[in-house]
Amino acid sequence: MSIAVSEKHEISLEIYKFFADYIYNHSGMTYLEKDYYRLETRLRSLVKLFELKSVNEVFDLYQGSVTPDMHAVLINISTNNETYFFRDIVPFKILTEYLIPNIQETKAVGTINVWSAAASTGQEIYSILMSLSEKYPDLLSKMTFEASDISCEALDKAKLGLYNGLDVQRGLPIAQLMKYFEQLSDENWQVKQEFTRKVNFFKFNLLKEEYPKAKYDIIYCRNVLIYQDMPNKQLIVNKLYASMKPGGYLVLGNGESFIGLETKLKRETFNNLTVYRREP
Amino acid sequence: MKVLIVDDSKAIFLMVSQMLEESGHTGVWAEDGQKAFEYLSGNNDIDVILLDWNMPNMNGPEFLEKNLTESFTETPVIMMTTENKPANIKKALSLGAVEYIMKPFTNDILNGKFELVDGLA
Ligand SMILES: C[S@@+](CC[C@H](N)C(=O)[O-])C[C@H]1O[C@@H](n2cnc3c(N)ncnc32)[C@H](O)[C@@H]1O
Ligand SMILES: [Mg+2]
Repeated sequence: MSIAVSEKHEISLEIYKFFADYIYNHSGMTYLEKDYYRLETRLRSLVKLFELKSVNEVFDLYQGSVTPDMHAVLINISTNNETYFFRDIVPFKILTEYLIPNIQETKAVGTINVWSAAASTGQEIYSILMSLSEKYPDLLSKMTFEASDISCEALDKAKLGLYNGLDVQRGLPIAQLMKYFEQLSDENWQVKQEFTRKVNFFKFNLLKEEYPKAKYDIIYCRNVLIYQDMPNKQLIVNKLYASMKPGGYLVLGNGESFIGLETKLKRETFNNLTVYRREP
Repeated sequence: MKVLIVDDSKAIFLMVSQMLEESGHTGVWAEDGQKAFEYLSGNNDIDVILLDWNMPNMNGPEFLEKNLTESFTETPVIMMTTENKPANIKKALSLGAVEYIMKPFTNDILNGKFELVDGLA
C-alpha cells in the first residue's frame, strides 16, 4: 500500500476568506463562500509563482507586508478576463449607426473621446476602432481612444495587440483579420500599429481611482459590473456619470442593467439594446 | 442545418460532424472537391459548405474556381484548413469563400463563424 505523497492539502476556510476579503477590498470583485472553489487553482498557481510549498505559505506571505508586485499578482489571478472581438455584435453596430450620429447632431465641433473602461486584453477597443474605421474613416483623427483595466497582465497583452490563432477567430470576421492584423508567425497575429498607437492604455481601478470630469463621449463598461455588489455598482455608476460629457453615452454588457440603482442617465433603446445617455 | 464537410481526412469529418451535432446540426461528408460537386448536383439540402484546402483530385481553391466560373452553387462556402498565410486566405476570399476557419479551432469558433455568414444564424 502506498499513500499518494503529492496529495494537496485542503485550503482552509480561513485562508479562502482572507484572500476573498483582500480581493473584495481592493477590486470589489466578490467571491462568496459558495464560490471559494473558484479561487482554488488561482491560489495554487501562486505557490509555484513564489516558489513556495503550499497555499499555507502563500497565506503567511500575504499576512506580512504586501509589496506592489504581490498585490498586482493577486489582482491578476482573481480577475476573469474573458472577452472576444465584437462581443454580442449589436454593441458595435450601435456605435456607428446610433451613438456617433447622435453625438454629432448635438455637437458640431470638438473631439470625440472614447473609453473602454474594463478593456481586458483589448478586443473591445480594437473592435470599436475597426467599426469606426469601416464607417467613419475620416473621424478617427478627431477622436481619442482610451482603454483601461485593473489587471496589468491583461493590459500588457492589450497594448501589444498580440493574439493567437484561437483569439483571432473568436468574433472576428476574416475580412477584418486580413485588413487590420499582421501575421507574425504561424500562431501569432498582431493588430496593426496604426491602431495600437491610437489607444492610450492605462491601469485603472473603477472602484478606487479618481475619474476625469465630463471627459468622455462614449464609454464601454461591459461585463465588469456583474462582479460588483450593489453599493459598489452604485458608486461606479455615479463616477461614470460624472466622467461623461453631457450628451455622452454609456454601453453596458448584454444582460447588465441599472435595476435597483439610482442614476440620472436616461435609457435609450436601439436594435433591442439599451444604452444610457447623459442629457445633452 | 445541414453542412457539407469537404475534407480528405475522415478523422476531421468525424470530429467536425460531432461538433455540429452538439449544436443540433448534421454533417455530410465529401472526400474532395470532385465528390462535393457530385453531391451538390444530386442534392439540394446543404445550407453551408466547409471546405478544406489540400485534397487529392480537386482541392479547395480548384473547387472555388470551378464554382465561380460555372456559377454552380450559391451555398455559402467557409474554408476550414491549416493553411493560414494571409496571401492564401485572400486568394480563397477572392474566389468566393465567405469566411475562413483556421485549424485548430473550437466548437465555439465554428458557431461564431456561422453567425457571421448572412442567412445562417
Ligand atoms: C469579463 S472582462 C470584460 C472585458 C470586455 N469589457 C468585454 O465585455 O468583453 C472583465 C474585466 O474587468 C476587469 N475588472 C474587474 N474589476 C475591475 C475594477 N475594479 N476596475 C477595473 N477593471 C476591473 C477585469 O480585470 C477584466 O479584465
Ligand atoms: Mg486535407
